[in-house]
Amino acid sequence: MQVNDTNKHRHDSAWLALLCLVLQLCLSPSLALGNGHINFSLVYCAVVSLTIGGSWGVLCGFLAGLVFDLSSTGPVGLMALLLTVAAFVMGMESRNRLQDDSSAALILFAIVCFLTCLVYNLAMLLVGEASSLLDVLFLRSVPTFVLTALSFLPFAYFLSRGSSSGVGLGMRGSHAKRVGKYDIGRL
Amino acid sequence: MPFNSNATRPSGLRKSDSDSGARLFVALVALSLVMFTVSVRQGAAGPLAAARNVFMTITSPVRYVGSLVSLPFQGLGNVVSNLTADQETLQELRKKNQDLTARNVELEEAEQTARRLQELLALKSSYSLQSTAARVIAGSVDSWNRTVTLDKGSAAGLAVGMPVSDSAGVIGQIIECGPATSTVRLITDEHSGVSAMIQSSRAQGVLRGAADGTLHLTLISTDQTVAVGDMVVTSGLGGVFPKGLPLGKVTSVNRSDGALYYEIDVEPLSSTENNEEVLVITSLTEGQEADAGDIAAADAQDSSIVKGVSDKGSPDGTSAAEDQKKKGE
Repeated sequence: MQVNDTNKHRHDSAWLALLCLVLQLCLSPSLALGNGHINFSLVYCAVVSLTIGGSWGVLCGFLAGLVFDLSSTGPVGLMALLLTVAAFVMGMESRNRLQDDSSAALILFAIVCFLTCLVYNLAMLLVGEASSLLDVLFLRSVPTFVLTALSFLPFAYFLSRGSSSGVGLGMRGSHAKRVGKYDIGRL
Repeated sequence: MPFNSNATRPSGLRKSDSDSGARLFVALVALSLVMFTVSVRQGAAGPLAAARNVFMTITSPVRYVGSLVSLPFQGLGNVVSNLTADQETLQELRKKNQDLTARNVELEEAEQTARRLQELLALKSSYSLQSTAARVIAGSVDSWNRTVTLDKGSAAGLAVGMPVSDSAGVIGQIIECGPATSTVRLITDEHSGVSAMIQSSRAQGVLRGAADGTLHLTLISTDQTVAVGDMVVTSGLGGVFPKGLPLGKVTSVNRSDGALYYEIDVEPLSSTENNEEVLVITSLTEGQEADAGDIAAADAQDSSIVKGVSDKGSPDGTSAAEDQKKKGE
C-alpha cells in the first residue's frame, strides 16, 4: 500500500527552501571565484528533483529560479525557465535518485548544472549584457558551475545517507532499504 | 525526514503524476517565457521591477544579518597572508610605514597652511556634499553585475541615478531603488561609465569598468599628458557626479602606433565591503557641476583630435573620433 505524505513533502521542502534562501542571500555574495557565485537555487532545485521529482519538483524548481531572478539584477523569468526545465529533466521519475544511485544522480546533476550555467550566461550574452563569448565561458559559466557543483556535494552526501541515519528528504520503503552499489556514503 | 513512507507506486499513479508534472511543466515554462519577455522589454519599470523591489525589501533583514555574520571572515585572507609574509615583505612594509609617517607629517603641515589660507580667503570646502549616509548590506548574488545593496531606499530620499561614495572616493551609482533598499552599480562593473579627468593635466575622458574588475580610462587623446601615478577624478560632465571626487590612480599608460587615444589602466581607490558606511549624494550644488570652462576644455580636446586627424589626411578619422566620444558619453 502506498502512503504518499504530501504534507511531509511540503514541510521538508519549505525548510530546505528557507536554508537555501538564507545561503543564497548571505553566503553566495561573499564567496566568488572569478565572476562566479554559488547558485543555491539550482542546488535546491536539484535536491528536490532528485529526491522527490515529479510535479512537486518542477514547481519547486520554478519557484527557486524565480527567487534567484528576483534577488539578482538580471531579467526576471530566465533562471525560473531554466530551473523548471532542469527540475523536469532531473525529476522525470518520481523516486529518490540520490539514494538509489548516487553516482548517476551526481553525474546527472553535473551535466544539468553546467548546461544551466552555460545557457543562462549565453542568454545574458544574447540580451546584450556581455560582448565576449570567452568572458561568458571562462569568467562566468565555469566558475559558477564549479562553485555550485561543490556546494551540492554536502547536500548529496547528507541525503544519500538519509536511509541509514533516519534523516533525509527522500522517499523510503523498498528504495530506501536498497543501498546502491555506488552509494556516495561509502566513498 | 522522509517525504514518502513508501516509494513503490502502482503504475497508474506514476502515470498520473507524470501527466500532471508534464502539464505543470508546460504551464510554468510558458509563464517563465512571458515573464522573461516582459522583463527584457520593460527593463527597470513595470510590475516585475515592483515585485523585485518588494522582494528586496522583505529580504533586507536577512541580508543585513548575513553581512554581520560574514564580517569576521572578510579579513581572513589578510590574516593568512600576514602570517605567511616573508622577511622581504615585512622590510618593505616597514620602509613604507616610515615613508608614510614622514608624508603624514608633511601633509599635516600642509593642511594647517591650507586651513589658514582658506580662512584668509574665505574659501568654502570643495566637497560640501549634500548626502545621506547608508550602509552596504550585501553584494551581488549573480555573476553578471558588480553591485552592492544599501540599507536605505526611496523612503530615505534616495533615487535611481544618485552617485555613491565612500571615504576614499566614488564607488558607483544607484540603479534600482526600493522603499527600504537600493542597488548600486559599482564603477568596476563592465556596464559602468563615469566622466573623469586626470587631476594634474585636466585631460578628460570616460572611466569604464571591465569584466575582470579593473578600470580603464578611455577617450584621453594622445596629445594629452598622462603619467603612471596620476590621480583620476570625476569631471562633473553630465551632471551626475560632483566634480573633483577621487576615482582611482593611473597604473599603466600605453600608446599604440597610430591610435587616437591612450590605453590607460586605473586602480580604484575604494573597495566595498559588507557593513561599510557610504554616502549617497542626493543633490549637487552649483559649484560641483562642470562649468562652462570644463565643457569648453572638453570641446577643445575633441577639436584637437579632429584637427590632428584631418592634418594626417585620414578620410574617416573625424567621424571615428566623434563616434567614439559620443559612445563614451
